Order: sequence, then structure tokens, then C-alpha cells
Amino acid sequence: MGIDPVPYAIPAFVALILLEMLWARRKAPTAYEPRDTLTSLALGLGSTAVGIAAAGALYAAAMWLYQFRIFTFGWQWWVWPLAFVLDDLGYYWGHRLGHRVRWFWASHVNHHSSQHYNLSTALRQTWTGPVALSFLFRIPLALAGFHPLMLATCAGFNLIYQFWIHTEAIGRCPRWFEWLMNTPSHHRVHHATNPRYLDRNYAGVFIVWDRLFRSFTPEDDAEPVRYGISRQLGSFNVLWAAFHEWIAIARDVWRAPWRAKWGYVWRLPGWSHDDSRETSDMIRARWLQSRGGEDPA
Amino acid sequence: MSAVALQLGGSLIAILLLAWCARRLGLGGDVRIRTTDEARRLAREAIFDFEAAEVGLDRAGIGALLRDCTGRVMLLRRHGAHFAARLLTSYEGIRLDRNFLVIATGERAFGTVTLDLRDEAQAWAATLRRLGS
Repeated sequence: MGIDPVPYAIPAFVALILLEMLWARRKAPTAYEPRDTLTSLALGLGSTAVGIAAAGALYAAAMWLYQFRIFTFGWQWWVWPLAFVLDDLGYYWGHRLGHRVRWFWASHVNHHSSQHYNLSTALRQTWTGPVALSFLFRIPLALAGFHPLMLATCAGFNLIYQFWIHTEAIGRCPRWFEWLMNTPSHHRVHHATNPRYLDRNYAGVFIVWDRLFRSFTPEDDAEPVRYGISRQLGSFNVLWAAFHEWIAIARDVWRAPWRAKWGYVWRLPGWSHDDSRETSDMIRARWLQSRGGEDPA
Repeated sequence: MSAVALQLGGSLIAILLLAWCARRLGLGGDVRIRTTDEARRLAREAIFDFEAAEVGLDRAGIGALLRDCTGRVMLLRRHGAHFAARLLTSYEGIRLDRNFLVIATGERAFGTVTLDLRDEAQAWAATLRRLGS
């Protein structure tokens, strides 16, 4: 039967963060910043609390869908890896839309709002995932016939896998591993603000989804990654980090003319009806133009 | 319920412990902008095509004002171990006080920045006034 593995992993998370801090002290003292760490971990704690509060409702919704299942996969051993891989595919698309639709981005942006990239950043998780309906991308597997407890377990292991890739302490992994799996190198690209790297590498566990759906860009040693968001937050306020994009959406919708209001909710982050702002696509296109149109991807 | 309380309570203690360790280990350091070239690089990192024509560096290196040849003015200010940037679009919220420029960007979370620009403060105030209000 399924279990939630995340609480069991928390002591390992703490120990590894401590180890990475010791590494940072010797090799890269600015890889950590105490206030940034506190913000990231507070966001992680809040996210855990929200997750616990919403778990019952999400499980009930998944069980409701499960009664209409197309197949019944059961609990045989081979169903587990199948569920894990398909859940990771659901994660990929949910994550991709989390960057391409402002409504979902409002929930996800706090994970990207640190200018640091370390193991504490991994725990900088959303407080508003259930409100944003981010679970819609993973719950259909219950309708396909995977038991919701199995899916919850797979999602837990997926989250645990993604913890260790949030580090600058590891350079590159063996070539076969870099081809198949999401790694620190691939995920550094995902957290970058460099125009070259914007909105790339959405994978959770398997980087092959990005290769398959043409969103992969390798890390280029000649261009060091800068982390965060295009318009850096400039604040360590936990509440601001958790809700700033939701507040910005509300302001934009309030001020926009009627015909443009929904655009501020459903279109790309950075979209504006009067072209006064830039989306990641626009930044990237302008950057490409400045280089004579050569696309590194 | 008690297991949940234990998990959340234990996590809170771990969080405070880790933040304390980060401080105790001296992580983050004391980053400053040392040269105008460094300010230019930080501006390009914030907006890739921002080529600063003029740079006003704070005496302590905690921030800078930069203007490019298209007239855009960027404020850089220290944020932890990094720097955060904003393009300034009006003179509203900006005040000159002898060698100091006090700049309120209008964003409460970003805060007010006070730059010691020495004898360049007056010239920068004039540049910013041209942005209008």
C-alpha cells in the first residue's frame, strides 16, 4: 500500500543542507545567505502545512475519479514504475504550464524567487498549489486506473528526487545519467534568469521529457547561471514571496480594460495588453536578435 | 494529529537551527560593488542590453545608479549576498539631501534606498528629475 515518504526524508534534508553549508563555507561562502535560507525554509514549512490541510480533499477528489477508472492496475510490482514514470510526465506538463500560464506561475514563482541555488531552495515550495489547481495535471492518472495512494507515494518520491538537484556543489554526472535523468546541471538551467536559459528544462525526474518535447537546453560552462526571476523580488518577506504574484494579478485585472482582464490571468507571465512589459519569449527573442539570430538550443 | 504537530514542530526547530548555522558559519558575507565596471556588469545581468553610459556608485558600495544611452535609469541595491535592480520611471519618491539621494521605488517590499553619491548626487538628482513625475 502507499505511504507518504516525504516526512521520513526530512531528517536527511536537514543533514544534507548542513553538509552543503560546510561545503559553501570552504568553497563558495555566498552560496548561502542566512535570511534567504530562513525565507526558503519557512516557505517549505508553510507548504507542508498547506499540503497536510489539503491532503484529505485531494485524496477524496482522486478517489471520486478512481471510481470511474478506465482500467484497474492494482498493486502488482510492475505498476509502481509505470505509475512513477507517468506521474513524472504529468509533473512535466504541470510544471511547464506553471511557467507558461500566469495563474499557475503565481503559485510556482516563489520556488524561483531566490537569487541563490542551494538545497534550501528545493524546499522553497508553494503555499497556493491547491488554490491554483496545480493537481489537475497529476490527478487524471486516477481516472486511468492507478490507485490514488500509489500516485501520492510516487509524487512523494518525485519530490524527494528533486531535492538533491538544487545544488551548485555538484558539477556534471556521468554522461548516461545526464542524458536520462534530471541533474543539478539541467536544473540550474531551469532556475536561471539568463535569456539563453529562460523557460527551459521543466523535468522533474526524467530529463527525457524535455528532450522529447523540445524544451531542453544544456548548461553552457561559458555562461554562468544567474538565479531568480527576471524582476528580482528584492525582499526576504515570506508573505510577499508567497503571495506577490497573486497580488500583482489582482492589481492588473483591476486596472486593465475589460477586454484584457482575462489575459492577465491566463496568458504568459509578463504579458500586457499595451506591450509595456516583456514575457520570457520576448526577452529571449530580443536577446537572440542581439546575437544575430543564433539559437543555442 | 500529534504526529502532524510533531512533524511541523520538529521542522520549525530544524529551520531555526539551519538559519542559525548559516549565520554562525559566516555565509553570505558582505558583498559590495567595488568598481563602476562591476556595477555595469550587474546592470547587464539584470537587463541584458543595459549598457551603462554613466554610473553613480554609492560610497559604501551598497548600491548604484546607472543611466544608459537611451535614457533608462537603473537602481541597483544590495539584497543579501546579491543585488536587485529596478528601472526608475519617475522622480516621484526621490529626494536629494546634500550628498545623499533617497529613492523610494514605490514598492513597499523593495523598500527605500539611500545612496551616498558624494559630489555626484546633485547631477544624479537632475538626471532623475528629467524622468518627470
